[in-house]
Amino acid sequence: MAEMNYSSADDKELVRAAQSEDMGAFEELVARHRDKIFGRAVSMMRNEQEAIDLSQEAWVKGWQRLAQFQGDSSFSTWITRIVINLCLDQLRKQKRRQTDSIEAMDEESGGVERQMPVVTINPTERLERGELRQRIDRGLAQLSPEHRTVLVLHEFEELDYKGIAKAMDCSIGTVMSRLFYARRKLAAVLADLKRDA
Amino acid sequence: MNEEQQLKLQAFLDGELPEAEARDVIAVIARDEEAKALHAELKNTRKALKSSDVKLQLPESREFFWSKIEREIQRLEPVKPAVTTVSLFERLRRLLMPLGAMAALVLVGLLTYNQLGLGGLPHSPETDLALAGTDGFTYRDYSAGMTLVWLPFPAENDLAQDGATTTIQ
Repeated sequence: MAEMNYSSADDKELVRAAQSEDMGAFEELVARHRDKIFGRAVSMMRNEQEAIDLSQEAWVKGWQRLAQFQGDSSFSTWITRIVINLCLDQLRKQKRRQTDSIEAMDEESGGVERQMPVVTINPTERLERGELRQRIDRGLAQLSPEHRTVLVLHEFEELDYKGIAKAMDCSIGTVMSRLFYARRKLAAVLADLKRDA
Repeated sequence: MNEEQQLKLQAFLDGELPEAEARDVIAVIARDEEAKALHAELKNTRKALKSSDVKLQLPESREFFWSKIEREIQRLEPVKPAVTTVSLFERLRRLLMPLGAMAALVLVGLLTYNQLGLGGLPHSPETDLALAGTDGFTYRDYSAGMTLVWLPFPAENDLAQDGATTTIQ
């Protein structure tokens, strides 16, 4: 059998080869998608070292479960789901360890987000790209892991409410509520409103 | 706006409402300033967020990152047993050896059983050679309580000495 040219092969070919235990093909897949997987982990964990560790773990799990990948979605989507699930597990573990719950601001505790004044300005028009990026970063960091995760899954991974509820093991109502709070909180940060929600 | 209306407005923005309900929300946005402002805020935030999904780079070289993954995979991979080819003769030998040993044991057992006379079976007729010095022999049937003794007549030695041989019919 002729040796595969990894760099010119597409993802499907590489996956097929990796499923036949071709480590070289899997290495190429890692090289192609590692930045995206790391970026997703960062957006959820807000911690670079944790994100590196979790993305590494996702790749190891990806290799172990490669036989289960049927090609229903793209390989990139599949491996991203793995890292998201690992991040969710990690966040759950961290939450269990936390003594003072971040859920004090959660939607179940009184709906602070509903009393926030509406932000009428459009931040994408007012702010430079770099500044906008910084404020979004700051806003995401201020969110609880649950609220941040809902935003990431919805806006970046483009999961629908049902998909998010399944991934986060909660009701669709909770997803809607968390998404609403997260957006409103973020809108306030983008508008630079000095207010404690 | 109450909570339900707010969440419905958001669901409309996210394309999660059925058509009939979506039409209702559009009507609310058109006539209610608060709903209109909230809709605009949610829409702007979503747009800002989507534009912020910058591509991050993993701060480790390809080789180093892969080496960690590879090491971990190898550490977790169960050790596969070496595949050995066994010849047909070897397989047959492995099958027959215990069978042969078992058959030998049974045989030894049966012989010992018969030797010790534990079977309670009637003695088979036996043929004994007669005492040294004679050419006769005896036949004993223990079950019938019978003993037969054959003696050459006339004695072959005597005939040989006489130089004449007679065969008894």
